[in-house]
Amino acid sequence: MDDVFKALSDSTRRGLLDELFKRDGQTLTELERRVPMTRFGVMKHLRVLEEAGLVTTRRRGREKLHFLNPVPIRLVHDRWVSKYAEPWAATLSGLKQSIEEEKDAEAA
Amino acid sequence: MQKLPEAGFRLADADTVAVFEIFIKTTPERLWEAITDPKQRARYSFGVETRSDWTSGSSYEASVPGVIDIAAGENIEVERPRRLVQSFDALWSDDVKAAGTSRVTWEIEPVGNDSCRLTVVHDQLPEGANPELYGGWPMILSGLKTLLETGEALTTPGSLRYSGAGEPAA
Repeated sequence: MDDVFKALSDSTRRGLLDELFKRDGQTLTELERRVPMTRFGVMKHLRVLEEAGLVTTRRRGREKLHFLNPVPIRLVHDRWVSKYAEPWAATLSGLKQSIEEEKDAEAA
Repeated sequence: MQKLPEAGFRLADADTVAVFEIFIKTTPERLWEAITDPKQRARYSFGVETRSDWTSGSSYEASVPGVIDIAAGENIEVERPRRLVQSFDALWSDDVKAAGTSRVTWEIEPVGNDSCRLTVVHDQLPEGANPELYGGWPMILSGLKTLLETGEALTTPGSLRYSGAGEPAA
């Protein structure tokens, strides 16, 4: 998890993730056009993101495509955020249920 | 999510692709079992059971019996405990049904002495596909990791949606 926070601590790297969020599965050449940085710089940042598991690559033909992998961020969420969100979700599902029961009662 | 460019090699199968990857401290056999056993699967998949005999060419069904059908399809390739390729027809709403058949590939690769890298590739999705179709994977994979590493089920919002467990115990 240290790797995830280190990777996210840099605005260029967050920008690269934003670009993949907008359009997933881009080549190095495509990503290079979207940030004001040399090819070498982009490669270096992508390597940090890959080591953190935030970017994963797949080959398609001759191309190496970069994908945003949101799973490590989900793990961070499940570890710290979820217990605050749970009562909120429970309230909403309770609300949904009571509205539906009212509707059923009206329909009956 | 992406639309592959028109030029280049092997681009006849241009489609929309989503890739998810997670490291889990477990063995390939144990991981395979957690994916293919309906009761274990339900514990990290919103309570949804996936049933099949897991042979190549067999069919599978994912549902909460009597409550909701989630997905169905064919097990195109079954290489226990390393690789599973499935066709995927989402069934939980008219909108996702309209997306037609996509493909889900599970790849399990041992890493180091005691861990696995699990990659789930959801592809052959239509361009501009409803994110609901593939958006649940991070939550499912996070729950799978928690189940295998701790034996516990996650109770994050939505994770018990169809489980019948209702609200988590206080």
